[in-house]
Amino acid sequence: MADSLKHSASSSSSALSSQHPRLLQAHDLLRKAEKLTKLSLFNWSSDWVAATPLYEQAATAFKLAKVPDTAKLCYEKAATGQERLSSPWTAGKHMESAGQLAKELGLIDEAVDSYRRASELFLHCGKVQPSADVLSRGARAVEDERSEIAVRMYLDACAMLEEDGREQMAFDNYRAAVNLYVKLNRFKDAAAVLVRWGQSADKCHATQSQCKAYLSAVIVHLYDEDLKQAQQCYNDCSQVNAFSRSDQSETAEKLLSAYCEGNPDEIRHVVSSSHIITHLDHTIVRLAKQLPKGDVKAASVVEPGDDELNEEDLT
Amino acid sequence: MSLIDILARVDVLCKKYEKYDVDKQGGADSVSGQDQFAKLYAVVEADIEATLQKAEAAKNEKNRAAVATLNSEVRRSKAALRAELPKLQKLAAKKIRDITKEQQAARLDMVEELAARIDEISDGVVVNRQSTMLGGKAGMSKPMEIRVDTMDPDDLMRPEHYEDTEESTSFRQEFQARKARQDQGLDVIAEGLSTLKDIAADINEELDKQEPLINEVDTKIDKAAADLKNTNVKLKDTVTKAPYTLHYDHNKLGLVSILLDFG
Repeated sequence: MADSLKHSASSSSSALSSQHPRLLQAHDLLRKAEKLTKLSLFNWSSDWVAATPLYEQAATAFKLAKVPDTAKLCYEKAATGQERLSSPWTAGKHMESAGQLAKELGLIDEAVDSYRRASELFLHCGKVQPSADVLSRGARAVEDERSEIAVRMYLDACAMLEEDGREQMAFDNYRAAVNLYVKLNRFKDAAAVLVRWGQSADKCHATQSQCKAYLSAVIVHLYDEDLKQAQQCYNDCSQVNAFSRSDQSETAEKLLSAYCEGNPDEIRHVVSSSHIITHLDHTIVRLAKQLPKGDVKAASVVEPGDDELNEEDLT
Repeated sequence: MSLIDILARVDVLCKKYEKYDVDKQGGADSVSGQDQFAKLYAVVEADIEATLQKAEAAKNEKNRAAVATLNSEVRRSKAALRAELPKLQKLAAKKIRDITKEQQAARLDMVEELAARIDEISDGVVVNRQSTMLGGKAGMSKPMEIRVDTMDPDDLMRPEHYEDTEESTSFRQEFQARKARQDQGLDVIAEGLSTLKDIAADINEELDKQEPLINEVDTKIDKAAADLKNTNVKLKDTVTKAPYTLHYDHNKLGLVSILLDFG
């Protein structure tokens, strides 16, 4: 690995040395740092204390000179150095930079690994917020190519924040996760995340977000052409006091009754005349505007607790 | 005492004894009866004038609501004036000396004239004297008058009484149109209000979210400021206690001056 590093360094230096004196300097720094850390006959222990700042300087210089692969390597080395110096905070920061560069280079899996490592390092320091932040930034970086992994990262970040009691900060991550699921057309998962969002909002008494999340869940189920699920979802959510008293629950009820009647014009009328729906997240509004999707048949209303209480069952 | 002082004293004395001034009071008690009638007559006439002016204003007013208010006021004052008239008549009939019989008769005439003038004041009640009516009313014996609070039993029995006239249908239509316009306006307001409510709720949540963050920042900055103060004090001590040498460090002096400004 060190050989390849030297090789790439020397080749790029010979190509660009005439134009970038800073690049030369960066290569020098890198060589010095390598010498300090490389174990050999004459060097029994790596001197990370001196090497780490050299690595950092080299990394920034390479980044400015737009040589991302060497810069990435330098960042990784610097991160290891900082770890050894028991400063996980800076190590985490370097790993994040390495992840960014990896994404630029198109090495997505490496980028994912770097971001996760950075998050772990921040957790070592006991700083939950930056850890979750780096996860969400990483997820945003890779969401185009690795949507599954990105969603995982978003949800992990949310779980981390909820554990720490900072549910409020998780809302952005939930929103991003829902948008990703909708983009992937995985509506059931999207609705599940929305309900989870609602639960999180309930804990921190964010009633507005909670009601919006529940209404969005109902709309997503309806878009998925699953009336039964939508009604069950609505019934479950109505158990929550805050939701049952809100405007959003009224809109949901109107929408569901229009669906039960099987009247597409009524559905469209409810959606277009409702002020509440326009204030939801724009992806959800887009879904709502496309309702009713598919055929709408008049269905029977599912009573709450229908499954448990069966009067015919005398056992 | 100068002339000016005398004049001032005279003015003060006159003012003090004003109530004994016969000319100012306008006649002795004996003439008060006549004055009562004249006074009341003058008051009623003034009221009639005021009411007439209001009626004129109502005719020229464009705003329907203002017209309705003015008309109702006119009607009220007319009713009040009509109530005053019997009093006036009684006063006119009272026999008072220093007044001739002709004058007394003339007074009664004046009172009747007043009554006629009061009735003449227009108060917005539409009196339909036109004989050209809709086809539905052809062959009717007498024209329909719109009267407020007067119901003739004959009128009630007549079937045409309950039909819509041209005016009433157009009035109804206008009412419906205005009501629809009002509803539209109210819808716009409702939409704006719901947007405002949503934005306000979101702002509320944002503020709730940021409050603990700001508290954290606050404590951290307090700590940092305390640390800086301590450092400044220590540095100041070190620098002032250090022995004076010819070779003094420019950097340190510069740093010290900045820090001393700070702390």
